[in-house]
Amino acid sequence: MSDATSHATTGAGTLSAVGHHDDHHGHHHGNFWTTYVFSTDHKVIAKQFLITGIIMAIIGIGMSTLFRLQLAFPDTSFAILEALLGKWAPDGKLDPNFYLSLVTMHGTFMVFFVLTAGLSGTFSNFLIPLQIGARDMASGFMNMLSYWFFFASSVIMVSSLFVETGPAGGGWTIYPPLSALPQAMPGSGMGMTLWLVAMTLFIASSLLGSINYITTVMNLRTQGMTFDRLPLTIWAFFLTAVIGVLSFPVLFSAALLLMFDRLLGTSFYLSDIFIGGELLHYQGGSPILFQHLFWFLGHPEVYIVLLPALGISSEVISVHARKPIFGYKAMIGSMVGIAFLSFIVWAHHMFVTGMNPFLGTVFMLFTLVIAVPSAIKAFNYITTLWKGNIRFTPPMLFAIGLVSLFITGGITGIFLGNAALDIPLHDTYFVTAHFHLVMGSASAFGLFAGVYHWFPKMFGRMMNKRLGYIHFWLTFTSLYLVFFPMHFMGLGGVARHYWSQSAFTFMEVFMPLQGFITIAAIIGFFGQFIFLYNFFSSIFIGKKASLNPWQANTLEWTTPRVPGHGNWPGDIPHVYRWPYDYSKPGVKEDYLPQHIPDAEIEYEEGFPKPATMPTPATPAQKPEVKEEAED
Amino acid sequence: MDGTTLISVAQVFLGIILLLVSLNLYLILRLKEIDPFGSWNPNKINAGLFMVFLVGGLIAAYASTQAWSEHLIFFQPAVSEHGLEIDRMMRNTMGIALFVTVLTNILLFYYAWRYQAKPGRKALYYPHNNRLEVVWTVVPAVVLTLLVFDGVGVWHNIMDEAPEDSIQIEVNGKQFDWTVRYPGADMEYGETHVSFIDEISTNTLGFNFEDKRGHDDLVVREIHVPVNKDVNMTIRSRDVLHSATLAHFRVKMDAVPGMPTSFHFKPLVTTAEMRQRTGNPDFNYEMSCQQICGGGHWNMRLVVVVESEAEYNAWIAQQQPFYAQWQEMNGANNTAEAQPEGASSDAVAIASIATAQ
Ligand code: HEM
Ligand SMILES: [Cu+2]
Ligand SMILES: [Cu+2]
Repeated sequence: MSDATSHATTGAGTLSAVGHHDDHHGHHHGNFWTTYVFSTDHKVIAKQFLITGIIMAIIGIGMSTLFRLQLAFPDTSFAILEALLGKWAPDGKLDPNFYLSLVTMHGTFMVFFVLTAGLSGTFSNFLIPLQIGARDMASGFMNMLSYWFFFASSVIMVSSLFVETGPAGGGWTIYPPLSALPQAMPGSGMGMTLWLVAMTLFIASSLLGSINYITTVMNLRTQGMTFDRLPLTIWAFFLTAVIGVLSFPVLFSAALLLMFDRLLGTSFYLSDIFIGGELLHYQGGSPILFQHLFWFLGHPEVYIVLLPALGISSEVISVHARKPIFGYKAMIGSMVGIAFLSFIVWAHHMFVTGMNPFLGTVFMLFTLVIAVPSAIKAFNYITTLWKGNIRFTPPMLFAIGLVSLFITGGITGIFLGNAALDIPLHDTYFVTAHFHLVMGSASAFGLFAGVYHWFPKMFGRMMNKRLGYIHFWLTFTSLYLVFFPMHFMGLGGVARHYWSQSAFTFMEVFMPLQGFITIAAIIGFFGQFIFLYNFFSSIFIGKKASLNPWQANTLEWTTPRVPGHGNWPGDIPHVYRWPYDYSKPGVKEDYLPQHIPDAEIEYEEGFPKPATMPTPATPAQKPEVKEEAED
Repeated sequence: MDGTTLISVAQVFLGIILLLVSLNLYLILRLKEIDPFGSWNPNKINAGLFMVFLVGGLIAAYASTQAWSEHLIFFQPAVSEHGLEIDRMMRNTMGIALFVTVLTNILLFYYAWRYQAKPGRKALYYPHNNRLEVVWTVVPAVVLTLLVFDGVGVWHNIMDEAPEDSIQIEVNGKQFDWTVRYPGADMEYGETHVSFIDEISTNTLGFNFEDKRGHDDLVVREIHVPVNKDVNMTIRSRDVLHSATLAHFRVKMDAVPGMPTSFHFKPLVTTAEMRQRTGNPDFNYEMSCQQICGGGHWNMRLVVVVESEAEYNAWIAQQQPFYAQWQEMNGANNTAEAQPEGASSDAVAIASIATAQ
């Protein structure tokens, strides 16, 4: 019954499949450079993003351990700081300006380079063609450009760590006038210029990638892969790309105008300034304007970071709980809702910046609306576990951990989103706790879950499970130990971005807590070396993976152990059902891959034939649904 | 705990990790056949650990809240009128948040433990349930609506115009300190602008002295306000963003160069009363900067004194207007012009203000 309809819906997929057909042996004629360096193969590009992201993460997390030492033990002299940082840590104590630079670069590295490029870049690239049944991205060349822009951006951002006046220091949100005026702090000199240049390249990379992801998902799905049969990973990557395309250009304008203010003396963000014993000529600009432009990207950005992680965890939880994801349509609906709402809540970061309070009211309403789809997702994850048959593999542990972190971190959003309640909490450690749990930790767990889950498809080998368990428990405990106590500091009024808490009596009482947090952070930091070791060693000595090691339904597991260029040596499989038929009653195995035609399903003995089989959740094939989704 | 303990803890920890990794390497490479952990069931162990984590986590969260609650300013009653409203919102939101977080985390970990894979079992095929999904869409939506309705009211009261008869004060942020201005007897501030700033003559706020309204303005380095009176605080900056934060009063507003902002509040508890309450004779209300503004950001402290109206009036009466000080300084101190640009002019200004007090 299905064939006629699916042919009708995916003409494009068929065409491209044919188009690529004769060159799926391409990898035989590539030389080293075109195969591994300037590759246009989405799988190689994904690995390039992943490895670059891992390197950026090591630097980014490493920086945080350095400033955590300062925060916890401001009076202790650390030889290691002086050895590493030289003039920035005289007598083994961090210079206050360099402390701010480290915080800034830590945030920039983690938010953009690790959790945006490292996460989306890796998994959108790797999974979109494999899971929708395409031979590659719509434009392999653009995809390659996307990586190399990102690479150049990373190189510039890293090199800014070494300039004379230090890297950018105004916080990852780089609010002017601080970031616009080299007189205001050393970190607003050359380092800031490099930051802006690097981010411009980063934005270009992100746009090239996103346009490609969107085009690929829209046009290259295999036969039968309607929008209501897409794995939730693909939905998440697709929506993430849409958000990125609409919001990153605004950050570009913001950065460009800031560049003008810095280099050409324009006054977009500056007015009435006397600094360094000197009256500046700027007139009529507004620092608030920058904040609006920044957060117009900045808030969607936090969902750019989170959605892919939620998509990955949906897939991982369903596979390893051997159960369909609960409320597939609701999951899609809430992601669409989040994607839309994320564009109209940005000013909740600006309640007390002097913005018109009436605006505050509007943004407070939208902000609390966005908590509803977030709640739906959390409940749906929990219900998916209910009466499952849960296999505690490393990816599953990280996916369960993600849900816990997402809940615990997300709930504090309803404090911060209520403008009046945000007055005391804004720019305290409460905010730090909120976003590190819900964005930082949850997304990092999405990244880990994804790596453990798809490692066999990336490298044809399994990662070591036991090291995975140790890695998970160390990371999970240390993250809670680091970020949970920060709520206390926030509720005690302790400000973010303080080099030392010694100036204020009500902040100083929290010093023992800072010490505790630092120790937990260092433990967590070293715990990551287990992952690094596991990752790199498994590439070479890991146990060889079977074709479908997790017994999953999606299409990537129908490729050879290590798929070559073009992904499938023969025809691209067709799709006959949604991806979440796990433990379907009557079916012999506890999974039912998407590519198995109804006629070939093996049933349990004595189970009635397919004609009478109940199919409560398998979405019927309705071509018009696809059209709707595409609009 | 100091740095050396920390380093030894880190060393011990590194040691453990190295041990684990080498043990594993050994197992992988040599001992596949006689693997001592081979009989462990990872489902059982990890599911059990989730329960341990849940119970341990809840106990730890409870105990640490108990231990720290006396230092949590936002758990202590606010010392301003609108702050009490914010406290009420905090209590309601906290109650709901704790309930939801604890409940969902319990369900999450409990289900994970309860439904660990067992041979021969099959999961329940349960792809959706519309009624359930409607319930957990509508319930959060209703709860959030209630919270927002409450919040909108409080927010509007706070952000409304200050009452006519408020005490006027102006805090001026710069890298890295605050200067406070009172409008003086005429209740009006004189004009100030960055273009009039002359640090050598100590005119750090940029008074336009042709504006006579400014001649009685007071310039000081402490906030004094009477208890139970509305205070309207104007907030300004002359260089980068700052944020005037009075944690005990639940007051916070950015200082924006080129755009004065304001925040009004009514203090309810004097410094003296607070010293008794806390049993700390040195207690002071403090104003901090909570918007990253450069290397000295952490150190922009200003003491806030709440006192009886009589004390406040007495204090005001003692202050000499800034204009008079400025005239004195620049009459007696004509050599100031010869000083190198900017050198210690700030120090001179502070000294002169200090003597005036
Ligand atoms: C439940 C829904 C959520 C609500 C209502 C919410 C609300 C807020 C609000 C109002 C702030 C501003 C706080 C302040 O600066 O005073 C904030 C900060 C932040 N939120 Fe959320 N949030 C939610 C979920 C999330 C999620 C899911 C993420 C990320 C994936 C996220 C990431 C962040 C980040 C990164 C910041 C801090 C940015 C900074 O100041 O550096 N939030 N959130
Ligand atoms: Cu936001
Ligand atoms: Cu500051």
